[in-house]
Amino acid sequence: MNKPTILIVEDDQAVRKLISTTVELEGYQYRTAETGREGLIELVSKQPDILILDLGLPDMDGVSIVETVRGWSNLPIIIVSARSEDQDKIRALDAGADDYLTKPFSVEELLARLRALLRRLRTDQQTSLLQSSIIENGSLKIDYAAGIVWINDKELHLTPIEYKLISLLAKNIGKVLTHNYILNEVWGKYYDDVPVLRVFMAGLRKKLRENSPGEDYIQTHIGVGYRMLRVEL
Amino acid sequence: MVSISLNGQDDFPLFSEASERVGKLKIYFGYAAGVGKTYAMLSDAQEILKDGLDVVVGYVEPHDRPETTSLLNGFEQLSPLSLTYKNMTLKELDLNAALKRKPELILVDELAHTNAEGSRHQKRFQDIEELLRAGIDVYTTVNVQHIESLNDQVSAITGVVVRERIPDRLFDLADQIEVVDIEPVELLDRLNKGRIYQQHKIAQALSHFFTMEKLVALREIALRKTADHINRKANQHTSTNKESPTFTNEHILVCLSGSPSNMKVIRTAARMARAFSAKLTALYVEAADDEHSDAYRSSLQSNIRLAEDSGAQIVTVYGEDIPKQIIEYARASKISKIVAGRTKHLTKWRSKQSFVDKLLDYDPNIDLYIIPDNQDGQLTSRKKTVDFSFSFMETLKSVFLLLICTLIGLWFYVLGFSEANIIILYILGILVNAMVTKGRKYSLVSSIVSVLIFNFTFTEPRFTFKVSDPGHIITFFIMLVAALITSTLTKRIAEQARQASRKAYFTEVLLETSQKLQKTSDEEAIYYETAQQIMKLTNRSIVFYPSKEDHLVDPLFFKHESFTGDQASLLNEHEKAVAEWAFKNNKRAGAGTQTLSNAKCLYLVIRGREHPLAVAGIVYDQSDRLGIFEKSLAIAMLDECALALDKEKATQAQNELYTEMQQEKLRSTLLRAISHDLRLPLTSISGNASLLSASADKLSTEHKQLLYQTIQDDSAWLIRLIENLLSITKLDSGQLQLRTEIELFEEVIDEAIQHLDPAIKDHSLNVETVDDLLMAKMDTQLIIQVFINILNNAIRYTPSGSTISIVARREGPLARIEISDDGDGLTDEEQAHIFDLFYTTNSANSDGRRGLGLGLFLCQSIIEAHGGKIYVKNHFPKGTTFGFTLQAEEVSAHE
Repeated sequence: MNKPTILIVEDDQAVRKLISTTVELEGYQYRTAETGREGLIELVSKQPDILILDLGLPDMDGVSIVETVRGWSNLPIIIVSARSEDQDKIRALDAGADDYLTKPFSVEELLARLRALLRRLRTDQQTSLLQSSIIENGSLKIDYAAGIVWINDKELHLTPIEYKLISLLAKNIGKVLTHNYILNEVWGKYYDDVPVLRVFMAGLRKKLRENSPGEDYIQTHIGVGYRMLRVEL
Repeated sequence: MVSISLNGQDDFPLFSEASERVGKLKIYFGYAAGVGKTYAMLSDAQEILKDGLDVVVGYVEPHDRPETTSLLNGFEQLSPLSLTYKNMTLKELDLNAALKRKPELILVDELAHTNAEGSRHQKRFQDIEELLRAGIDVYTTVNVQHIESLNDQVSAITGVVVRERIPDRLFDLADQIEVVDIEPVELLDRLNKGRIYQQHKIAQALSHFFTMEKLVALREIALRKTADHINRKANQHTSTNKESPTFTNEHILVCLSGSPSNMKVIRTAARMARAFSAKLTALYVEAADDEHSDAYRSSLQSNIRLAEDSGAQIVTVYGEDIPKQIIEYARASKISKIVAGRTKHLTKWRSKQSFVDKLLDYDPNIDLYIIPDNQDGQLTSRKKTVDFSFSFMETLKSVFLLLICTLIGLWFYVLGFSEANIIILYILGILVNAMVTKGRKYSLVSSIVSVLIFNFTFTEPRFTFKVSDPGHIITFFIMLVAALITSTLTKRIAEQARQASRKAYFTEVLLETSQKLQKTSDEEAIYYETAQQIMKLTNRSIVFYPSKEDHLVDPLFFKHESFTGDQASLLNEHEKAVAEWAFKNNKRAGAGTQTLSNAKCLYLVIRGREHPLAVAGIVYDQSDRLGIFEKSLAIAMLDECALALDKEKATQAQNELYTEMQQEKLRSTLLRAISHDLRLPLTSISGNASLLSASADKLSTEHKQLLYQTIQDDSAWLIRLIENLLSITKLDSGQLQLRTEIELFEEVIDEAIQHLDPAIKDHSLNVETVDDLLMAKMDTQLIIQVFINILNNAIRYTPSGSTISIVARREGPLARIEISDDGDGLTDEEQAHIFDLFYTTNSANSDGRRGLGLGLFLCQSIIEAHGGKIYVKNHFPKGTTFGFTLQAEEVSAHE
């Protein structure tokens, strides 16, 4: 894959400049747009590889842009939001955004998110070729066909819900899954007991940590959800 | 003197929901049937209909007059409500349909009509008042003989007492009065031609009502009444403040009694009040020895109602000496004129002076109007109706007393005591009798019987009623007189005691209510205390409907022990609707009133200073009505309740204002402090940046690196400050509730650690969560901020290489978090003030910048907002421990 193109949709000039300079220095190509409308035109005409989208645009609701984009494309979307837009952030993630950054963010943080998404982009392309029923991440291995999880080549004994949780996270590796999304997928519709999810997640993480110390597979996003991190050995 | 205002409940200025416009009333006024009122009304309405207004015929009496009926064409007509009463089907105006239809103008015939049993209101004019309140204009018709204040005059002329009457206030309320007038000659002509009544009724009408003289007189009264109305309207226009009726200095007092003839007195007084534009007060003096028949009481009730309808304020006072009470009240209330009936019946048998003389005696300067009382048959009305029925218990007591006297008398006789001793003994017996029995008749009869027994048993010849010694006749006579006087005086003292105790009870109960209400702290307690007091008084259950934003909310039911009925039937939708009506219309309704009287409770409005606050329902499960005394006391209590509710609301508003002020103060202090402290890092950032851009080439790489680092550090400091400020505004903005969720401490601590000062790398951090699943309900962002602030303080104020440890554990119902360092620790003085706003220690921290004294203050606010506790203590062996507690939560998670 040659240099990926990043579309930056951000109305604040200073932040736009900061992001564009950062990605340029890292060797990515970029395009910028100031408004949602402009951004959508760029998206259609230039077909970028990653979208960095500010939620507080003057002309359009960021969440509806995510929904529109998800109508035709799977491209990774990073949401940039202010702290006051917490609820919008979760709505955008539910609508299909992959990751988020909260202002103020550091340049390193932005670059780390970009790298993670590009890596996923690459593995997605590979796995889609292989159609493999086995996912590997660091020392973690999940066999969907057999329904077994190994860690360090040792079978991990999980309860049915824990298994569902880890499968869901692994299938969406690198992506932040909101509480609502996970509850919906694992427990079914209209179940909204987030504390129960926390308890199960804490149990799952404990099992992972005990069997593979020093590696952190599941990242908590307080108030938002969980994400499985790609672990490089 | 204790006086209670009974009125208010019915005589309140009409006010409508949400101060919408009130409808206009036009009355077509005639002097007799057949003058063409309905015709005039309908033809006017036809014109209006042509102008495009929304006109609906609510109800027009079917008269079989073809001209009139033909005028109904073209109108939308509401179908009348059919009510079956005693096998008769009666047609009435469908008020609900009219309110629902809500036209601009509605035509309703016959204002003075009395509705059939089962209608919402007893009288049609009440329906019309409600339509007006709903903002609907009304056209209606009425004849002169139906006007309350003219009733006496009309009946004097025609000899017919009209039962269907409307209060004068309705007439005064009308925006337009149109007199429909024809020459009496023409009216008689019409009648003869059969255009008013059917043929068979004509003869009867001609002989009774439709005589020339009567019609001329009626016409004169009608025209005069209209002239009065025009006069009043004109005066109203000239007065600057139309809202409050301008009273002249005149204040008229009318004396109420239970006599049917009292109505005439009330009407006269009302007419006078109107003529003088005077305030009218109706006074009822409840005397101590009043024992009235039911007929008297119900007649009194209707007189009170008439006075209320005539616009009088009703006052009840208690006292023995009626003229004295009247004059006392008149003096206190600056009454200028007193209107009373020529009342022989108000004169006590023992007073030599007449009632009028007495009044004049007490105050010779007052204007006194005596209205002749021509209903002689009714004169006994106020006189105590002698009740010849004897109660068994009372009779038994009397017989027993006589028996004892006789037995002791016989013993005296045997011992040979003189007759005088025995006479004294009997008089003692009568004295006791007067004290222990209710009603004078027992002591009176005892007096006579005593004399007879004495005669029979002790005087010669014994055991006969014969008298041998003429001296004995004198003895008997003196004995009888002595007995009668004794019994009368004793009775009077007993009655006075009863009256005094009643008065004292009244004052005491009100005082107690007021005291109890003063101690209450919230709305519910106010209702509770009021209900307890009213229940104690009336022995009935009480329902309260409090209001919220102009609507009644769920009722509070206070059950009296005597209540045995079905509670649900008292609180059903129907009852609630009656309460709602009372609330909306600001008038009493339900049982014992003229509105919706089939309800199970009497609904009284609790009125605050500005608008109704709630509705109280007194359960009428017993057959008898509330006495005047109880009712007025209950209303006085509800007034106390309203006062307390108003006060409670005011206190609440004041508290809110106070908190707001406090917050405002805090905000401005913060703003002042912050704008000062923001300048420092901003100066450094902008200075360094301009230095770099202007002379980058002149600076060494290390020097430049230093400047970059400074810029970065300063902005990081600013970011932390902004985070804290955001948290403060969140806490501070009052109306914003904490957004709590149940969170795992493990996750929260992990998250906090990710946002720490980068200098953490020079320290070692231990996290020990004793309980893996330790959870608490919290606003996550704010609790993370607490962790970050405490940890960053620990990082900044301890030398590099120090150890910082976090311990989270469960202690019973609490989650306890302690963050300890092994730095130099704090002095006691510092510990005492560490959580104060803008408190900073003098110890230099790692980046050399003084803190704002915001972080820990914020931590304290956040933890306290969560209902937890925050503290600081020394860490063993050295350093400081910051700790806080939150309410721990359990989550049951089953697969």
